[in-house]
Amino acid sequence: MSTTQTRPALSGLRVLDLSQVAAGPYATMFLGFMGAEVIKLESRSRMDINRGRAKPGPTDPRVYPNGEHGERPYNRTAHHVHRNINKLSVTLDLAADRGKELFLDLVRVCDVLVENYRGSVMDRLGLGYGAVSQVNPQLIYLKISSQGATGPEANYGSLGSTLEQTAGLASVTGYGDGLPLMTNEVYPDPVVGILSFGALMAALRQRRQMGIGCLVDLSQREVTSMLLGESVLDFSVTGRVAGTIGNKHRDMAPHGVYPCTGDDMWVAVSVGSEDEWLALCRAIGQPDLASDHRFRDRDSRHGNQEALDEIISAWTRGWDHYQAMHLLQAHGVPAGAVLKGSETINDPHLEARGFWDVVDNPEAGTYKQTTLPWMLSKSPRQTTVPAAGLGEHSFQVFNGLLGLSAREIDTLVEQGITGDVPNPDI
Amino acid sequence: MIPSNGEVLSDIKVLDLSHGVSGPFCTKFLAGLGAEVIKVEPTGTGDSSRQSKPFLGGPDDVESSALFAYLNTSKMSVTLDLDIPDQALSVKQLAQESDILVESYAPGHLQSLGLGYGALAETNAGLIYVSVTPFGQTGPYRDYKGADIVAQAIGALMYTIGLPDREPLKVGGESVLYTTGISAFSAAMLALHVRDTQGFGQHVDISAMEVMTVAQIHSSINEQFGHPSVRRPTNLVRAKDGWVSPGLESGVQLGTWPKVCELMGVPQFAEDTRFTTQEGRRTNQQDLLKVIGDWAATKPKEEIYHTLQALRTITGYVATVEDLLVAKQLVDRKFFRALADPVFGDVVHPGAPFRMGEDGWRLLPPPRLGEHNDEILGGRLGYSSEKISEVSKGGEV
Repeated sequence: MSTTQTRPALSGLRVLDLSQVAAGPYATMFLGFMGAEVIKLESRSRMDINRGRAKPGPTDPRVYPNGEHGERPYNRTAHHVHRNINKLSVTLDLAADRGKELFLDLVRVCDVLVENYRGSVMDRLGLGYGAVSQVNPQLIYLKISSQGATGPEANYGSLGSTLEQTAGLASVTGYGDGLPLMTNEVYPDPVVGILSFGALMAALRQRRQMGIGCLVDLSQREVTSMLLGESVLDFSVTGRVAGTIGNKHRDMAPHGVYPCTGDDMWVAVSVGSEDEWLALCRAIGQPDLASDHRFRDRDSRHGNQEALDEIISAWTRGWDHYQAMHLLQAHGVPAGAVLKGSETINDPHLEARGFWDVVDNPEAGTYKQTTLPWMLSKSPRQTTVPAAGLGEHSFQVFNGLLGLSAREIDTLVEQGITGDVPNPDI
Repeated sequence: MIPSNGEVLSDIKVLDLSHGVSGPFCTKFLAGLGAEVIKVEPTGTGDSSRQSKPFLGGPDDVESSALFAYLNTSKMSVTLDLDIPDQALSVKQLAQESDILVESYAPGHLQSLGLGYGALAETNAGLIYVSVTPFGQTGPYRDYKGADIVAQAIGALMYTIGLPDREPLKVGGESVLYTTGISAFSAAMLALHVRDTQGFGQHVDISAMEVMTVAQIHSSINEQFGHPSVRRPTNLVRAKDGWVSPGLESGVQLGTWPKVCELMGVPQFAEDTRFTTQEGRRTNQQDLLKVIGDWAATKPKEEIYHTLQALRTITGYVATVEDLLVAKQLVDRKFFRALADPVFGDVVHPGAPFRMGEDGWRLLPPPRLGEHNDEILGGRLGYSSEKISEVSKGGEV
């Protein structure tokens, strides 16, 4: 696909980002990649949880480069370094009156506000949608919450892992022995981060049409439950309750992961069509299987998949996971090596497509950064800007954007309303 | 460009050449925001998802798949065979009048039929052409085949799911294909933003592998920082009627633990240093789960969820689809909506994925195969009624 030089897709869009942890920061990271100016707002007393503690203890569970906390640990945690790229970092104490004033001044000059606090946090600060839309009716306020902005559970707390439970995803994830399981990647968070981007594009279009901003109310639980929509329809008509079926598929067989050479190495295989089945028989050197009556059609293969799994495993054990994938794919069988995160960063396909950015973060070192879940032929992504140190851009934003003098900003620092070190008490 | 009915995409026409799960989920969202979506399906069998479980009625009925019904709300269906040059030309004609085209064929396939991005953009420069494939349009794996489980394997989502002594486990259902569709939706909306503000269309390339690599929000960075990603034991405990996670390991204030002990009737643990801090509770997770499990075993899961959430813990309960439809929060927000089906009666669907202002999410029943042949093939393409009936039966035109 050709690349034409144009201005960045979202140039001129300014985003005030109060979000933390994963779903919100992911959405604003994508916005930054497409050229938006993202101002990440934290307070010295309540930093983004991704930054960890100001002074982590020896058993702190967060991940630091090679386990070393360094001089400023809050600028080095893996999650902060990875999710808060492409953003300016500003600190502001929203509990202080002056902090609230400056916050509203920022709202006046921004197009979008993103937050994912518990339901009522912004209202309690007096900074909810009602207040901010008064000072800037054009503002789009993206409220990402676990349960939505309304309803009896609006103030309940959640994590990605609990959302997998309350939205039903865990009830269909598991080995088939009755125990539901969650992902270890807090799956609802990236999903909601990706969707939030599209929701914002829709709200921006609505603003162009109507000339006014709006509140976008996005419930992570609702979005996650959409990942099992077909089972909702099915239950409502037939009364069947979807459960766990391991790595099997409702329709297709064989379907699962198969052991390869090496410790804990696997290849995933999924056979849907008749063509794919015949291709599998050829790929594993057993063309006669195609005429085995146990495997004569999709339903038979589904019914006898344990026998099939043994045959396939006997073959996959002779190859490493990449070899097995390439051999199967060469015959037309859908297959993929079960990669570790550290393998994806060296995968030749992702490399050839320019998926990764090599980033030199001044506080955390050099690493490869995940980028975007899309590629546009004429609107390329911007190169990753490393995650900023806490409050690194406070002066730039207060002075350049709001017109505060150096003296006024000094006073804010003296009063602890802004600054580039965390409150020592946290 | 003020829309007539308040729907943000009511001026947008979408030609949907995609099939299966990911592409159709993308166009479901576009239709939800008010776009006109014309879905082109092969004559006779229709979209492959029409043959997928779960079936609301008989498996041989192309109108019976719950998967198809969910994925294709608010769309129109026409039957055309792209391999017949005459009909491919009709598809090209529809593409000329479209703002967005979504497709999920193997890379290069539509190009070979004269329906590639380059050919269509020559006469429709504003066209946004969204290709949704397992590995994307370029790169050494571009011709490889994909599936839900393949994407979560190769994108490193799957390696860390499941128990330490078992094989890697996939996320249930078609979740990963849905997520790929969500990426396609967000990217299509982005391309539309660019077209609105800069005046040109473009080719959008969605790779399920990349969507999954973006979705593994821990592994790639943690491992580069020297921290291996592993499959971990579960933190769920058994309640009387299902499973809960007590939610005492992060985001919990200092005073919460003694209150939880009081609630459970085990005040002796309030000062137990194994449990008094979040880090302690994480380190001694198995002991903690035992203490809580003894209490939880006699209580309904939702009661535990509400009681512990009231103490400001981050508690969860594992809801089944049955539980979802009666969950107070979802009912209060009227998230689920029933759509009347002539055969199956009320079919309950998830509603809007996000809300802007009062309403604005369109949810209409899925089309029957070829339901809009008269309207589109006759009305827009000028097919005669004889030709329409031939196309509908799958005969050569």
